[in-house]
Amino acid sequence: MLVPLEWIQQYVAVPADTKEIAHRLTMGGLEVEETLDSEIGSVLDVYITPNRGDCLSMLGVAREIAALYDLPLTPPSPPESQQGGETATRTSVQIEAPDLCPRYAARLIRGVKIGDSPEWLQQRLIAAGQRPINNLVDVTNYVMLELGQPLHAFDFDTLAENRIVVRRANEGESLTTLDGEVRELTSEMLVIADALRPVALAGVMGGAETEVTEKTTNILLESAHFNPLSVRRTARTLGMRTEASYRFERVVDPEGVRRAVDRACELLALIGQPTALSGVVDSYPAPEAPRVISLRVRRTVDLLGIPDITAEVATDCLKRLGFGVVQEQGTLHVTVPASRPDLTLEEDLIEEVGRIYGYENIPETLPIGSTTRGGDSAEGTFLNEIRRILTAVGLQEVVSHSLTPPSIFDVTPHDPRRVAVRNALSYEINGLRRTHLPGLLQVATRNATRAGQNSLALFEVGRVWQNEYIAEMHTPVELLSVAGLLTGELEEVGWQRDRKPLLADFGAVRGIVERLLEGLQVKNYTLTPLGDKSEDYPQFHPGRTALIHLSDEYSPGVVGELHPRFAPQMELRNRIYLFEIPLDALGAVALSEKRYQASSRFPVAVRDLAPRVTRETTFAEIEAAVNSANVSNLAEWRLTDVYQGTPLPEGTKSLTLSFTFRSAEGTLTEAEIGAGMETLRASLIEKAQATFVA
Amino acid sequence: MSDIIKQQRDDALKEIATALSIAELEEIETRYLGRNKGLNELRRTVGSLPKEERPAFGARINDAVAELTSAIAVRRTALEEAALVHKLASEALDVTLPGRPSRVGRTHPLTQTTNDIKGVLSGMGYEFVDGPELEEYRYNFGKLNYPEDHPAMDEQNSFFVSDDLLLRTQTTTLQGRIMAQRRPPFRIATVGRCFRYEAIDATHHHTFHQVDVFMVDEKISMADLKGTLGAFARAMFGQETLVRFRPDFFPFVEPGVDYSIAWRGRWLELGGAGLIHPNILREHGIDTEKYSGFAFGLGIERVHMLRTGVDDLRLYLENDLRFLKQF
Repeated sequence: MLVPLEWIQQYVAVPADTKEIAHRLTMGGLEVEETLDSEIGSVLDVYITPNRGDCLSMLGVAREIAALYDLPLTPPSPPESQQGGETATRTSVQIEAPDLCPRYAARLIRGVKIGDSPEWLQQRLIAAGQRPINNLVDVTNYVMLELGQPLHAFDFDTLAENRIVVRRANEGESLTTLDGEVRELTSEMLVIADALRPVALAGVMGGAETEVTEKTTNILLESAHFNPLSVRRTARTLGMRTEASYRFERVVDPEGVRRAVDRACELLALIGQPTALSGVVDSYPAPEAPRVISLRVRRTVDLLGIPDITAEVATDCLKRLGFGVVQEQGTLHVTVPASRPDLTLEEDLIEEVGRIYGYENIPETLPIGSTTRGGDSAEGTFLNEIRRILTAVGLQEVVSHSLTPPSIFDVTPHDPRRVAVRNALSYEINGLRRTHLPGLLQVATRNATRAGQNSLALFEVGRVWQNEYIAEMHTPVELLSVAGLLTGELEEVGWQRDRKPLLADFGAVRGIVERLLEGLQVKNYTLTPLGDKSEDYPQFHPGRTALIHLSDEYSPGVVGELHPRFAPQMELRNRIYLFEIPLDALGAVALSEKRYQASSRFPVAVRDLAPRVTRETTFAEIEAAVNSANVSNLAEWRLTDVYQGTPLPEGTKSLTLSFTFRSAEGTLTEAEIGAGMETLRASLIEKAQATFVA
Repeated sequence: MSDIIKQQRDDALKEIATALSIAELEEIETRYLGRNKGLNELRRTVGSLPKEERPAFGARINDAVAELTSAIAVRRTALEEAALVHKLASEALDVTLPGRPSRVGRTHPLTQTTNDIKGVLSGMGYEFVDGPELEEYRYNFGKLNYPEDHPAMDEQNSFFVSDDLLLRTQTTTLQGRIMAQRRPPFRIATVGRCFRYEAIDATHHHTFHQVDVFMVDEKISMADLKGTLGAFARAMFGQETLVRFRPDFFPFVEPGVDYSIAWRGRWLELGGAGLIHPNILREHGIDTEKYSGFAFGLGIERVHMLRTGVDDLRLYLENDLRFLKQF
């Protein structure tokens, strides 16, 4: 809100040190965002928090300044109108919806002459950010800015039967508002009507047909109190936001209703308009009782932690804000004005005492007493362990968007598994990521096109969402997932080009998955070819992708090459390898405890076998053959070579397997080792149809 | 006869002194000291000498052998040293050339900052708990004392997935979840991603990361809040850091403040804080006459930006490696 200091000084004699006032107000709770200049001097741009509707006026801000500086406040005091009078003989106000309109006051002025406002009034409006329109509208706006009470002027002669009815709109009614728009009304909206039709949207905007024009001579001035929620909902439903609705939403003082209309009449007279008719029609069926809140001084000291606050100090602070205070031993009985609906609890008053006394007086202490043990969450610890392993193998962590557009990982743009954002205004953020892979691909593409970086090793851990079909309904489920991307040269390239750079391939990305699983001490996992599941993974190369099975209870992870169909759009020079593992599965099988195993003191014996198998034979079959042989003292074994081509027969390949024998009890004899090798050989022949060349 | 010994000795010493390689030295050694060669060959002529001269002759040969053996050893050491010097010289590199780069994996700067914050708060007794990012409406607003359809929600424009589910606009949502399960005293912290409908620019984003910290115990005061924030800020930003409060409004605290730190000569706003609103405590059956609590929040991006000078919020989610590699 724009607050010209010249205007404020009409109510409180604050020294005109703009910078000092801005600082004091900010530290008192009204944040001055910037200071501007105007024809009438400095203007403060003050941010008013949503709870302080009372400060959406010059008088409201002046009251704060008076309290903070401990200066007297001089509010405007227009001549008070009396209920009835001549006004009551010419018009009436009927409130049919007192729940939405607790108070409505109207006064009449006859013989007005529409023209420009005087210079001083126009300048104050301009400095406060309002465009002058004509003397009548300007005065209503001026009073709204001055007192915070929105007013509305009707052309009295256009009101059917010259009377006001405050009611809910009827279904099917419409109203052309001042901005020329035709508004369709519903029975939830409060309107000001005459005898026949709605003439204004209560608290939001007036109607065009009853608008004050150059021909207007008689006006009815409205000053009313509307239910904040009702105004807010009507304005939002119709997509409107006006100075009036903004204030009504934040609660306007119901006690100030008549003063505002009286003030407007006073100002109109002051600028040369006719005197208003005597009397006011003020319908206020159920006036609010003054609120009295008890404040214990002891509790004020306890909660603020300022030991030197006494009953006298607290009383002084509250009185400076214009509250009534009666002291009774250690308790203050505080009468809060209706303009402060935000104050209902003892704690609310403690805040008022604290901020007027000054938060700079709060000392620093530390809580004493028993406490819970501090530390990271189980999830946080687990994610950090994953980060530690993946950064150790050279992957860079990225953190990308949860809100994403549909991607190639959604089968259709409306993939039912994708959790859509209902009120997304942009395609780019119209749903939640179901997987980290599109984000990783986007990061890779961006680094390639922007920074020429075609070699990348990336990972992301974090939440993903997907709709799961639970009880015949799509229910969004939040999951944790880890994913990685590998493309281009596996090692950083320097000037020493002593060998051809290694490019990322399936083995490299599978190796990373294996390091991750080993690091998390996952003992039993299998990777199986995609096979007939390839339809479920259309983004992956059907022959270069494996599913990662960790546990039967969870969906598998996936590791493989991006389908060449999608590769060109990624604008990366090399093949792209991806993996993703759901963390619920990983968390279920990972072990955090580590157990020591003694290393054998006895020597090892290493022996090789070179089975020849058909080219279609998978390593998994070889693995199964070796494992099922169940050879004792076989400490470990590994594949050291795969060869196909001449001189091997067409359709075959030769593997070299290296077996390491070791016993914890003693040195193995040649016979023991030989027996083990024979068992392995037999198992490979039987299970993998291997042949051995003599 | 003794002249022969001297002659051999002198010749050998001369050759040893001029030998240029270990091989040459070994050849000299064999020639003069080898079995039945050189001095050892002379030894065999002892029989032709008169009996009384034999001991002296033998002794002189022994002396010559010892002298040559020693000279050879000395020369060998010198030659080996020279060879090593030569080898080292030939192996010399231009050590000013750049090294072979190794691939380094790093965590994201937001992870680094989060872990710094976790370290400090864990040390102060705060237990980290995680809450869902896709949150129920009631935890995001109702349980945080937002009045129904209040203008305070205008600052929290939300992404809705259904009538009841939205992307949390603040990590404060965890407070309701915790208080539904636990009894004081407790010290809890949570960190994570939040979402608000904002136009993106250098200082606003629809996606950001927040820490929320809260505790409930007997007689917790604004002074305890200020002291805790001071200790936290000094751990994060250095011993000289000061903390300042300014009144602000959040529905879930009363009194509510906005806190700033004085750091490197400027006051910088860090986040919101206050005493947990009595309505929230009472809703969970916590006796507000006995217990009170405080809460504060801060942005992870904000902390990282202040500490490193990053001036554009958008950089964090763009993941340009030229940015990420700086941290």
